[in-house]
Amino acid sequence: MTLNSVVETDFPKEFVEEMQKTEDVLPEKIDANPENVEKGLAKLVLTLIELIRKLLEKQAMRRVEADSLSEEEIERVGETLMKLENKMKELKQIFGLKDEELNLNLGPLGDLM
Amino acid sequence: MRLYTYGIIDSSNQVNEPIYGLEGACVYNIPYCDIGAVVSELKEPVQNVTRSSVLAHEEVIERLMEYFTVLPVKFHTVFDGRDGVLSMMQSYYKDFKNNLDRLRNKVEFGIKVIWPADKVKKRIMNSQKKNEREMPVPAGSSNKKFIRKKFEEYKTNKEFEEKANKFINVMDIFFSKFAAEKKLKKLKTENLLLDAVYLVEKDKQDDFKEAFEHIKGPHTSFKFLFSGPWPAYNFVILPKNSDLLKDSKQEDLFDKVVQHQELVGADKI
Repeated sequence: MTLNSVVETDFPKEFVEEMQKTEDVLPEKIDANPENVEKGLAKLVLTLIELIRKLLEKQAMRRVEADSLSEEEIERVGETLMKLENKMKELKQIFGLKDEELNLNLGPLGDLM
Repeated sequence: MRLYTYGIIDSSNQVNEPIYGLEGACVYNIPYCDIGAVVSELKEPVQNVTRSSVLAHEEVIERLMEYFTVLPVKFHTVFDGRDGVLSMMQSYYKDFKNNLDRLRNKVEFGIKVIWPADKVKKRIMNSQKKNEREMPVPAGSSNKKFIRKKFEEYKTNKEFEEKANKFINVMDIFFSKFAAEKKLKKLKTENLLLDAVYLVEKDKQDDFKEAFEHIKGPHTSFKFLFSGPWPAYNFVILPKNSDLLKDSKQEDLFDKVVQHQELVGADKI
C-alpha cells in the first residue's frame, strides 16, 4: 500500500515526542466515574481555580511592569499570590493531580490554558 | 447493510477505476444531486484505529483526489444503509457544495517546526540578569522576593513569546505567498514553535515546497517537518453542530500517521 503524501523530516522521534506531549495535556473530558468521581470533580474545580490564579498573577505582573503598585501593595499582592500558590500545591497533592493535568480542551476555542 | 464512508466528492458519477477500502471492499459512489458520498460495504463492525484501517481510509481518499475534489469524512463514519447516507447528504447538501467549490484544486500541507526553546530561554534570562538593576521590584521581604521571582518569569515568558511570534511571522510570510488559507498554532509545547496547515492550489505546490526549502536552509538550529499533499482535512467548514467531518482526533490525520511511524516508513520520515 503506498500513499502519495510525503512526510519529510530528519527528526521523526523529536516530532513524535512533542506531539505526544500535546495529547497528554489536552484531556477531552473530565474523567468522572463512581470509582474516581472525587478526583474528576476536583480536577475540574482546580482547573478553574488555577485559571483564575494565573489571571490574577498576570494582572499583578502587568501592574508591576507598569510600576503602578506601591511598596505596600507589592507586599500584600506578594503575600496573597504566595498563599494562593501554596494552597494550590497542597490541593493538587491531596487529589494526586499534576500541573499538566489542570487544563481543558474547549474544542474549537482551543485550550483553557 | 452498513456503509463505511470515506468522503464527499463533487460528482454523481461512478468511480472509474476500482478502489479498495476497508476489509478490501470495493468503494462506490452514492450520488445525491450533482455530488456523491463514496462508501464501501462493511461486514464486521469497525474496530479501533489500527494502522491498516487508517492507511486504507487515507489511501481511498488520496485515490479519489486524483479524479475529484474530496471532502474527507472522519475516520470511523458508518451509516446504516443507503437511506442513512442519502438523508445525511440531503441535510448537508448546501454546506458540501460550498466546501467543494472552495476547496476545488486545492490540497493541504502541514509544517511543524521545533526550535531550541531551552537555549532561547537561557539567552533571555542571561540578558535579563545583565539588566537586573532595571527590575522594578527591589529585593526585600519574602513577599517581595516572591513577586520579583514571578516578575522575572513573566518577563522571560513574554520575551519568549515575542521571539516565537517574530520567527513565525517571518516563516509565514514566505508560506502565505502560495497559500489560499492557513491555520497556525504557535507554541503547542515550548519546543513546538509552529504547527501549521496551509491550503495550497495544486499548481502552486512546487512553489510552496520551494518556499519551505528556502526557510529551512538558514535555520540550522531548527527542526522542520513537512508533509503533504493531504486532502483538506483542516479546511472543511461545517455548521458547529455537525461532527461529520470535524473531529479533534481526526483533524490532522497526519498526527496519527506520524505516531504510527512504521505506517509511512520510519526510515523515510
